[in-house]
Order: sequence, then C-alpha cells, then structure tokens
Amino acid sequence: MKQTLLKYLPTLFFIGLVAVFIYNLLEHGRIEHPGFTVYKNQCAQCHSEDGNGIRELVPPINDADFLNTYFDSIPCWLTNGLNHAIVVKGITYDQPMYPPKVDEIQIANVMNYLRDEYKLKHPTEVNSIWVKEQIKGCK
Amino acid sequence: MLYLTVLLLAACNNNNQLPIYGIKKPITQVIGGKPVIDSIDYTIPPFTFYDQDSAVVDSHTVNGKVYVADFFFTSCPSICPKMKKEMLRIYDKYQTDNNVVLISYSIDPVRDSVARLKSYAQKLGIDNTAKWHMLTGNKDSIYSLADAYLVSAAEDPDAPGGHIHSGNFVLIDTHSRIRGYYDGTDTKKVDKLLTDMDNLLKEE
Repeated sequence: MKQTLLKYLPTLFFIGLVAVFIYNLLEHGRIEHPGFTVYKNQCAQCHSEDGNGIRELVPPINDADFLNTYFDSIPCWLTNGLNHAIVVKGITYDQPMYPPKVDEIQIANVMNYLRDEYKLKHPTEVNSIWVKEQIKGCK
Repeated sequence: MLYLTVLLLAACNNNNQLPIYGIKKPITQVIGGKPVIDSIDYTIPPFTFYDQDSAVVDSHTVNGKVYVADFFFTSCPSICPKMKKEMLRIYDKYQTDNNVVLISYSIDPVRDSVARLKSYAQKLGIDNTAKWHMLTGNKDSIYSLADAYLVSAAEDPDAPGGHIHSGNFVLIDTHSRIRGYYDGTDTKKVDKLLTDMDNLLKEE
C-alpha cells in the first residue's frame, strides 16, 4: 500500500503544481506579474487597484502619456518620494508622496508591470542595474 | 432535528444587536427616597472643534445622529488615503440620510488648518460639509478625545508623516455610545460597517 503511494508521489506532486498554476491563471486571468504583486502591496492602497488614484487627492498611475514622459524619473520618486506638484490628465496634484519601501529589484519589477500593462514606449524591459543608474542621477 | 433548526434560527435572529463599548459608569440615584446604584453606558464626552468651513462642530452637531468617526491628518502618507477612500463610500451611501454624519478629527491640527482641511476636502470631492466634517482645534483636546474613543493617536517622529494612529472607523449611535470598530483600510470591514449602520439606523 505504502509502496504504491510512494510510486505515485512525484505524479501527485506534479498534478498539484499544475493545479496551483491553473488556479492562479483562473484567479488573475494570467499568471500574476511580479511587478503587479509589488503594486498591489506597496502602491494600491493609495493609487487604487485599478490605478485610478483617489479623486483629486492621489493621482492615477494609469495614464500612459504621463508615464511615458516621466518614465526615467520614476525610480527617483519611488526611492526619494515626490515633493512637487504634477499634472496628470489635466488635474494638478500637489500632495507630497512618501517613498514606498521597495528595493531596486522591486522598482524594476513594478516598472516592467507598468510598461507591459500600459504599453509604454520604453524600448526594453528594465532591470535593477538600470534602476540604480537612474537613482544616481536623482536631484 | 426540528428543535435544532429552531434553535439555530433563533440564534441567527439575535445577532443584530451591536455591542456597547466602554466601561459603564456607576451612578447613585435617589428613587422614592432611597439611594439606588445604577450604571450608565459609556458615552463620548463633549467636544468642540472647527470644521473645514470654519463652522463650530460640537456634541450638539452629532446629537441624535448615528455617526462614524476616525482620526487622520492631511499629510499622512500611509493609511489615510485608503481610509478616506473607504469613508467616501459611506459619504456617498448616506448622502440623503439626515440621520448620518461623518467626523474626521485631524491629529495634526498645527499643520491642518481650516484652509488646509478645506483644500483636502475639495480634493476628495466633499461638497456637503454638513455630511462630512473634518475637524481641527486644540491639539491636547483632540488627543484626549482619541483616548475617549478608545483609539490610539500619538506623535512619533520616526513614523512617516510624524504621527501614528489607528486606522479604525468608530461607529457611534444616537446616544453617543460606541457601537463598533472597523478597520478603515479594509474594504470588507467597511462592508460590514455599512451593514451594521443600516441595522443601527433601523434600531434607533
């Protein structure tokens, strides 16, 4: 009896993996992008899960024009916060943003999520080396 | 089997009463010439502050109404925006119900002036000040009021924004008694708050 179980253990394990894979697929419609995980945990409480922000208090992060224009500045904002007014979709937002607790890898991941999700113009995916370079140039 | 079903149904029906928080205060009354010791429910003590329109808001403003209170400050980076977003759901739902009011106390009244609160309220789209007051005033009074609501609020130079506070929404009934605490950063808890508010309004 035990011998039979051991024989089928690898198969059962494999089926388990497939089940988790399918569950994830069904839950999210796709495998969750690691950058989306960062977004959900670090950004969504203010910028909302749908990226719309909160009324005129917290800006949306789903505007491709804004993200394209300021793509290179985002690593600085996520590291040092943002203390000046910005205009997104014609609305001015002037509340300071404190930086979330994210490291360079998480910043790269969330930026790749944004790039993917909103079809941004940056020619390639970014990595933590690129993020570190941008942070060196922060004002 | 029938007996169990009846018992279960009875248990369900009795669940609607919200608890009354706080320690009861013993009082001695003289009834028929004899002293009688009774207890009265814990209630929120009187308060007086100014809202975003510079109007005085005090215990009379909330007297006879069901209200939800929270503590925040405008430069709060972490939980406040989410709390305000959830509070907006309550604001929208009870727009036309005159028995409901929302009160947000600023725990940073030094920086949160009336003008600053007004600007913040406008950014959130709060047109109806009478429905949702954002209050500022004497700092010590606000902190002792936080104690009175049995929630935490304190200055902490290490915290983002310089203050720490509980993300709780406190539900108060028409007699100024605390009837519930709900994590204002949790959408599901606020769902429960909305249901409890409906029940409380029916009760009163």
